[in-house]
Amino acid sequence: MTWFRHPAVSIAVTVLAYALAVALHRRWRWVPPIVAACAPIMLLLLAIGEPYAEFNRGGSLLTWWLGPATVALAVPMYRQGKALRSSLPRLTVVVVTGSVVGMAAAGLTAWLLGAPLPVVMSTIPKSVTTPIAVELCRELKGIPQITIALVICAGVMGASFGVPLLRLAGVRNGLAIGAAMGTASHGVGTASLLRHSELQASVSSWAMAAAGVFTSLLAALLMLFLP
Amino acid sequence: MIDYARGFAVIVAFGLLGTLLHRLGIPIPGGVLGLLLFFLALTTGLVKLRWVERAAALLLRNMVLLFVPLTVGLMEMGQVLHRQALAIIASLLVSWLAVLLTTGLLGRWLLPPDATTAPAESREAVTEAAQ
Repeated sequence: MTWFRHPAVSIAVTVLAYALAVALHRRWRWVPPIVAACAPIMLLLLAIGEPYAEFNRGGSLLTWWLGPATVALAVPMYRQGKALRSSLPRLTVVVVTGSVVGMAAAGLTAWLLGAPLPVVMSTIPKSVTTPIAVELCRELKGIPQITIALVICAGVMGASFGVPLLRLAGVRNGLAIGAAMGTASHGVGTASLLRHSELQASVSSWAMAAAGVFTSLLAALLMLFLP
Repeated sequence: MIDYARGFAVIVAFGLLGTLLHRLGIPIPGGVLGLLLFFLALTTGLVKLRWVERAAALLLRNMVLLFVPLTVGLMEMGQVLHRQALAIIASLLVSWLAVLLTTGLLGRWLLPPDATTAPAESREAVTEAAQ
């Protein structure tokens, strides 16, 4: 189907699927928008026998905007940073430690279970927000699709089990809950906190942006040791 | 409308600047370099928050749309995912728990209790659907 090969068509299809997914998500909160948006596109491509590469000629134009979306994270970081001023040094220590532990735990577990290097590298940026995770995965020569799948799972797990698990571990301090959710489950975790408390959500959105920055710096160090 | 145009222009400019610096050899992703420079510009007052607020909120709220095309690529990853499923799933579970608990417990020990801090007034900056 040659008409489908025009980039504008794949962009239109993507936007339409996204709009439907958002509507579904409003109606049934448990439907993750990313899954609801991707599944129909995958089915459509399979149904008309169109290869992903063709679809992605238009798709990559949307992907490009992940760069500016990353830049835009400076806004919550700046705004929440001002409100959290007095706790920032300690928050930084907490988020950096969490990021290091996450990268090490993800990479080591995959490596010990015998995954090949590109898969190991794909697991390392899994805690941070998607646009940064994708860029980091490319830098580390991983497979972006695997990273995206992991990032989404980390987010959904945080939104579903994060707060109850933290309570179980005796964490009731709002700043600590926010920091943990933002570092472990980025934007999805942050959004789920809005229902609990605005303070937690704002700490979480600062932690999400900060974890992305610190993880990038740590990954740059890691790359010095790569062949 | 002009508000969005100005915001996008500023944000994209910082993104391009970051990409340029990255190409020149700084081993940090271009987007993150752009974020840091943009953050610096906001802190120093070079860029005013109200110039960029709405465009930034629009981008952050609809971030999910931007990674739909990449995620659709999972349809071609079946083999790798299948062969490495155990390693990938184990790594996800172990590291997610490790990050959540390390950060939470360290935070409980280091951070002040709730009453001493107030959240920023607007919730617009908190991304809604961003994953």
